[in-house]
Amino acid sequence: MSSRAAIERKPSARIPGETGLWVLVLGDLTVFALFFSAFAFYRSRDVELYQASQATLNRHYGVANTLLLLTGSWLVALALESARNRLPSRAARLLVLAIGCGSAFAVVKYCEYGEKVRAGIGPATNDFFMYYFVLTGIHFLHVLVGLGLLCWAFVRLRGSAAGAEPRLVLLECSGIYWHMVDLLWIVLFPLLYLLR
Amino acid sequence: MTPVWLVLMLATGISWWLATGAYSSAHDSRRLATTGVLVIALIKGRLIIRTFMEVDRAPRALRFATDAWLLALGTALLTLYL
Repeated sequence: MSSRAAIERKPSARIPGETGLWVLVLGDLTVFALFFSAFAFYRSRDVELYQASQATLNRHYGVANTLLLLTGSWLVALALESARNRLPSRAARLLVLAIGCGSAFAVVKYCEYGEKVRAGIGPATNDFFMYYFVLTGIHFLHVLVGLGLLCWAFVRLRGSAAGAEPRLVLLECSGIYWHMVDLLWIVLFPLLYLLR
Repeated sequence: MTPVWLVLMLATGISWWLATGAYSSAHDSRRLATTGVLVIALIKGRLIIRTFMEVDRAPRALRFATDAWLLALGTALLTLYL
């Protein structure tokens, strides 16, 4: 894989998407890193409460959502590859599948929240659930923004003719944002669901 | 892109196995499982950054900034969990 990456590497380094987007992405990543650390810190002071609360979460929802986001990210990366190869309709089809993965994530999350609320569990239940609802809630907003961006990129792709030079910046930027949503979940998933 | 996706899916499976099967009451094996799950998450994160986000082709400053984020987060979490 590394040799292939070396072949594909362009001679001059360039910033993927837009520089401004990376300011936003790095800022967002930093804020989330602080949230994750705060969660880990308060957990270390009351491990039993966090473990008991965590045991009530359904891990299958967590792992299903991880696989959905990873697959969505992969599809977006393939869509960008297709658009660069001047295959906008193929890229648009891949984006629809990616949007499907993101939407399925939202449905799973909605079911999960519903179960918790019906069981009388909310952000005020205890510290663990305060973090659970705040972290997954903010992440969920990111998922919705990312889905909006992917839909926008899809509409723009459908407007471009096959073989034409596609305008890739919007697709690149929405892709990077979507991968960031995936990346944050990759850390959130073990913290909330897996680590005991 | 597809091999990367397969590695990411497989890594998720290994994390799942570590967290559901390999945790036992023995203190050392708990530490090992926790370390394994966290390290896998960081490796998955770096794969996403480098390949899907195309940071492997980005200027050095961006490669450095994203690696610094992973390193800082990994250090903080491993310290607080172990």
